[in-house]
Amino acid sequence: MLETILGWYTGFMLIFFFTINSYYLLLTVAGFWRTLRVFKEVRRPDQRRLLRSPLTPPVSVLAPAFNEEANVVENVRSLLMLDYPLFEVILVNDGSSDDTLRRLVDAFDLRRSARSFEPALATKPVRAIYESPSYPNLVVVDKLNGGKADALNAGLNLSLYPIFCAIDADSILEPDALLRLVRPFVDSPGVTIAAGGVVRVANGCDVRSGRVRKVHLPHRSLPLVQIVEYLRAFLFGRMGWSTGNSLLVISGAFGLFEKRAAILAGGYATDSVGEDMELVVRMHRYRREACQPYRIGFVPDPICWTEVPENLRVLRRQRTRWQRGLIDTLLRHRQMIGRPRYGAVGMISLPGFLMFEMISPLVELSGYLLLPVLWTLGLISASIAATFFCLATLYMVLISALAVLLEDLVFRRYPRTLDLGRLLIGAVLENFGFRQLTVWWRVRAFWEYWRGDLSWGVMERRGVGASAG
Amino acid sequence: MAPVFALEPLRLPVFGLAGAVISLAVFLLLQRSIVELRRRHSGRREPVLTRLLYEALQSTPVQPEPLLRLGRRDRKLVRSILLRLALDLRGDTGESISELYRLLGFLQRDLARLTSGLASIRARAAADLGLVRSPQAIPALLKALNDRDVRVRQASVWAVGQVGDPSVLRGLVGLLEDRNLLVAHRAQEVLADRGREVADAIVAFAGTSSSRSGRLAAIELIGWLRLTTAADLLLEFMDDIDPEVRVKSVKAAAAIGDPRFLQSFSGGLDDSSWAVRCQAAKGLSLYGSPDTVPGLNRALRDRHWWVRFYAATALAEAGPFGAEALQAALQDPEPPVRDMARYLLERAQLIPALP
Repeated sequence: MLETILGWYTGFMLIFFFTINSYYLLLTVAGFWRTLRVFKEVRRPDQRRLLRSPLTPPVSVLAPAFNEEANVVENVRSLLMLDYPLFEVILVNDGSSDDTLRRLVDAFDLRRSARSFEPALATKPVRAIYESPSYPNLVVVDKLNGGKADALNAGLNLSLYPIFCAIDADSILEPDALLRLVRPFVDSPGVTIAAGGVVRVANGCDVRSGRVRKVHLPHRSLPLVQIVEYLRAFLFGRMGWSTGNSLLVISGAFGLFEKRAAILAGGYATDSVGEDMELVVRMHRYRREACQPYRIGFVPDPICWTEVPENLRVLRRQRTRWQRGLIDTLLRHRQMIGRPRYGAVGMISLPGFLMFEMISPLVELSGYLLLPVLWTLGLISASIAATFFCLATLYMVLISALAVLLEDLVFRRYPRTLDLGRLLIGAVLENFGFRQLTVWWRVRAFWEYWRGDLSWGVMERRGVGASAG
Repeated sequence: MAPVFALEPLRLPVFGLAGAVISLAVFLLLQRSIVELRRRHSGRREPVLTRLLYEALQSTPVQPEPLLRLGRRDRKLVRSILLRLALDLRGDTGESISELYRLLGFLQRDLARLTSGLASIRARAAADLGLVRSPQAIPALLKALNDRDVRVRQASVWAVGQVGDPSVLRGLVGLLEDRNLLVAHRAQEVLADRGREVADAIVAFAGTSSSRSGRLAAIELIGWLRLTTAADLLLEFMDDIDPEVRVKSVKAAAAIGDPRFLQSFSGGLDDSSWAVRCQAAKGLSLYGSPDTVPGLNRALRDRHWWVRFYAATALAEAGPFGAEALQAALQDPEPPVRDMARYLLERAQLIPALP
């Protein structure tokens, strides 16, 4: 009896592994075609004309900051230098316990302002608002700590413009990133309600004065593997999902939203650690239920650089938080899953995320545990176990290598041939230790979620400028 | 036991996958090497070809002979250099580029690409034709405005905007009411740039269009281009039943600033739509007249935050009368009014900032 059950479960796992990898393959290929289409589409050579076009909407850039004293001044300077006709930078100091605020006040000659605002969204109390006579488009909000979502909501309350860009205070935007990301809003005003841009890994790059001067790969293997992962999952994966207007995640590190649509949907959820995904799903839901036409897009060429964890402790915190955010969002909006009323979101992307993002770590972990058990019980030969492992691993390597190839065909951000070789090595390495660890952390996230853990954890940053090499 | 042993035949797929991974890696490195070789070739040839191009462009009439003898790869490079130059150079040099482009046969090629079966090729061809601004391309581009693919239509609208004279641009005004919003927006974008040349057509279209979106787009254009000839029409629209038409009209009127709008702006402060009230307040700031102060003072006490903000901003920009009104508002019994007045006075540096 046990043998039969184990046998059938093994068969199920084989099918599951094949399905999940095929799903990733399909997504990567769909993302590639979509990217090519966007690039071939009327990529007007005079993109810079948007700088003086009256159709280009003004944008409020919202940057929540918590204990960012090390880089905050340089990052705000870099934001103020964006190539964009009309924008304001609203930095929200979310109750930092370090010198974040003082450094900003000193560097930008900030003075307390009597600026009032419309409290469209409830937030933790704002202690003070600062403005600068030297930088009229900079506003610093000092508020009690309430988490990233609360800080973004406070920034939204203060924003003056119809479109807002949510970024992490430690991210580096390319100078024309905003101009490129706003394109869907210019082409379809009123219809486009959100657009995501590409987040790339800055570790190893040459960063000076808040700009990425040269793109290099990091020497350490942990961030290298994450680069491959970002290419596969965050670049082509999200591009693939955007094909049928079914994108569920716009990274909190770089996304553009219509302010009115976000406020109508209720703003960022302060009781979720996956506030970026949750808002996007809620915006889908709100628009679908109101039967209003809308579009949530993904643009492949505006680039935001971010630093990824370089040690396992920080990586674990990040990955468990992502998984908790995913579980939380899917459970909150479970009524949408499998409901035709929600279109491709309800019928394809939410079930896809449920199966292949939320539940898959459980199945994968059970697979890793089951193989040695079957072998010990003599139900499976070593060669079959190896076959099974090779099959799953090779399929994953194939998809990652494909993502590297597609990146090279379309973007070629890593210009040295040696870099390509290293990325390919990263695609292989990912499957030996990194993948298994992330699976374990994602399973642990279920336990943390069940315990009601809403903590973010602290991201320890080496500073991208310092991490070259 | 049976399902477990059923794994055995999967050895073949494993080798297949391994082969696929290796092939992919080899292909990746190969294609990178080819690209690298091409890049080196371009780097070597570009300075030589650019010099040849400049010589050809500087002679009158344009002399294409040395360039006509180039090989296929060099011609491809010449074309890409010409397109890059066309983006930056206008005037006489722009015309020379367009002429050279034609003499080298690139224009004919693009016109042929405009009839390709692949929409992406047609769209690219339209964009290239727009870049080189060749008048000979106009008939084909006008035809492409009705292409079955929206990308081609968008590219053609942009290209016509680059190449066309006012008589051609008039055709784009009608596209403001196109059923495809992407095309309509592209037309609006082009007209925002060159619409002054067809101002009369835009004003006439705004007055006669039966399409709401088309009319709204035309009203926006009137504001962006500050078409004073549309003043009467805007006055009429400011009383329209559709709040969106009223908002856009008041906004356009505020951009134009004709004295005849004063009355309507004052009336707009009582509009049921808060967006109209905001724009009316903004419009009143243009006059710097004591007559506008009572209305703006009233708007400073509006129930809507944004109207108060616009009214306070208008008062701060309205000169000494406005500043006086804001100073007086510092004593207002309502805290939101006092705060708003204080903030705007602070911004205008009429009072010191908070400590």
